[in-house]
Amino acid sequence: MTDLERVVTPGARLRTLITAEVSHDEQPADEWAYQRSLRPSRVLGDLWRARQIVRTITERNLRVRYKQSVLGFAWALLTPVGLLIVLTFVFGRVAGVDTGGIPYPLFAYIGLLPWAFFAAAINTGGSSIVSDKALLNKSQFPREVFPLSAVAVAGVDAGMALVPLVILFLVEQQAPAVTTALAIVPLLVLIAFTTGMTLALASIIVYLRDVRVVLPLLLQIGLFATPVAYGLELFPGWARLAYCFLNPVAPVIDSFRRTVLLGQAPQWDYLGAGAVTAAVVLVGGYALFKRLEGGMADVA
Amino acid sequence: MSRSQAALPGSVSATHIWKRYRPDSRRSVVQETLSAIRRRQRRRARWVLRDVELEVQPGEAVALIGLNGSGKSTLLKVLAGVTHPNAGQLDIGGRIGALIEVRSGIHPDLSGRENALFYGTVLGLSRRQVMDRFDDIVDFAELSGAIDRQVKFYSSGMQMRLGFSIAAFLEPDILLVDEALAVGDVGFQQRCLERMKDVLNQGTTLIFVSHDMAAVEAMCQRTVWLDDGVIRSDGPTADTLGRYRVGLEEKAALLARLLDDPVRMTQLSATSIDEALPETGRPLLLGLTLASEMSGPVDLCVGVSEGPATPIFTLTRSVDLRVGENDLRCTIENLPLPKGRYYVWLGAFGPGGSTQMPWHPAAPLDVEGPPRHPPPRGVMQLSPVHVTARWDARGSESTSFQRKPTDGTAAALLSPR
Repeated sequence: MTDLERVVTPGARLRTLITAEVSHDEQPADEWAYQRSLRPSRVLGDLWRARQIVRTITERNLRVRYKQSVLGFAWALLTPVGLLIVLTFVFGRVAGVDTGGIPYPLFAYIGLLPWAFFAAAINTGGSSIVSDKALLNKSQFPREVFPLSAVAVAGVDAGMALVPLVILFLVEQQAPAVTTALAIVPLLVLIAFTTGMTLALASIIVYLRDVRVVLPLLLQIGLFATPVAYGLELFPGWARLAYCFLNPVAPVIDSFRRTVLLGQAPQWDYLGAGAVTAAVVLVGGYALFKRLEGGMADVA
Repeated sequence: MSRSQAALPGSVSATHIWKRYRPDSRRSVVQETLSAIRRRQRRRARWVLRDVELEVQPGEAVALIGLNGSGKSTLLKVLAGVTHPNAGQLDIGGRIGALIEVRSGIHPDLSGRENALFYGTVLGLSRRQVMDRFDDIVDFAELSGAIDRQVKFYSSGMQMRLGFSIAAFLEPDILLVDEALAVGDVGFQQRCLERMKDVLNQGTTLIFVSHDMAAVEAMCQRTVWLDDGVIRSDGPTADTLGRYRVGLEEKAALLARLLDDPVRMTQLSATSIDEALPETGRPLLLGLTLASEMSGPVDLCVGVSEGPATPIFTLTRSVDLRVGENDLRCTIENLPLPKGRYYVWLGAFGPGGSTQMPWHPAAPLDVEGPPRHPPPRGVMQLSPVHVTARWDARGSESTSFQRKPTDGTAAALLSPR
């Protein structure tokens, strides 16, 4: 009764009276601890069944983004073009980067495309769970649909950004080299690395919102720490392989330039180093995501 | 231990479900860890669900009731698979459709049509299935004129109707409904109940969370009462609701005795004539003694309720109170209540509306009589009223009868002795 008298309002008193009797010291028996199956076959099966949801969320994100904007989808083209103009002025004209004979706009744009894809995917994908938390309570689909559709949206944007590339080729009166077909290899490495990073960041940001704030800054630094505006040759020879392990986007960009512009094969040792990291990040990022997935609906 | 899908479609089996949330997620993780280390104590979290058992057969309609924070919604989320329990085993048969926070998944920038397609797919339908149901959804939500407008230009009622309609036409094996009805207007609520009834008739299992006792009675034969994460009662709706109401009112009555007001009820008797038990259709004599610290006129209100707070009828009489004990008698000539347990509520209000005795449940009232007839499924009965009716049905001619409205100013005598 003494407990009751402390409470002031009648409503609160009612609550206290009705719920005061129970203690929270009890624990469930250990053998009842809830465990989810994280077998890869099961995880991938669930994801496959949820593929329509990935598509739907991707479509929604694309639709929503340019509602009530005058230029609409043109923004997907204008953003990289704007950045290209800045890079061309600063690095091509002022700093005078050595491109190995390739017109600087082409050289820079083909580096800009993979980077823009990577940056957009991890930037929006990283906070995708947090920003779509309303949907977390709706259904039990696997939570990776959110970061995966962020990667897909970035992919669509990158596809649109190929239009300025075609125009650049026409302006420079140059054609893509025959070896362009080989570009599929660095493309796969890029997608794997981007997906892995997005999954890892998306799950971490649910619990550590700080990362969300730091991410744009890190991406700014990354833009200049990656051979987007300059060539991989800028790094001293002994450091290149180590750097490719560290930043798989670097050998990816280098391989794109070699296959599409120079008519060469990728430098397989560098690209291989990037591929190893990308595979580790993809598997590790997905595993981390599935580990942290259980509490997401409660914390986001 | 885990979540399996081997069960019969439409069946739910949850055993030893324990669930708790992390303590205080508003604080930053760093702060929390630091303070935990400093104090060298385990972070203690509240158990929201403790050892909950729930077995539901295919096609059954089960209601979950309880106060706010008793764990109803959490249990629903656990069953829906959107959150994982800390312990326990779940066997869910078939596809689950959850109407939880129906408005929150609707995207304001998309049109109603885009939302229907999006939301339907997210909830587990294919695009084809959504398109097949599209006309039904739009008709049900009464949005035919607005379906291509952006949802942010909808009224909140329209948004709610859209969300409910999409979810209501999913045709899952198990439908979970969490307070979805509370937002709509009366007409829409009735249609929601109709829709839920149709869904039940198709063999879908329904688990229904509501604070609306009338809706619970209208939909579910079985009701589970959750109290602070523990199942207090699980059985036929009438029994569980009875226990729940009594629980609530007894607590409220207990509180009322602690109150320190100028006028207090010290004794209340409710009998039929000749000290017999109160009975349906017979006179009810209420005798009450009020201890007063003030003298002067007050409006004395007497009401009878089933379940908390909302009285079935009230009677008001102005009385002159003296300091000390005041005996009053009130005779209700024909008690219009069917068999059941009710509560007598009292309140006294001085001139100008000042509260001399707050409106509170004073004593239980058990009424004997013929058993009440439940309304047809899907029909909400506001409050139980006993009506004597005579039916004449001859061939195609039949006389319809209407329930008499409960009149708050029913014949009553109330006079200070």
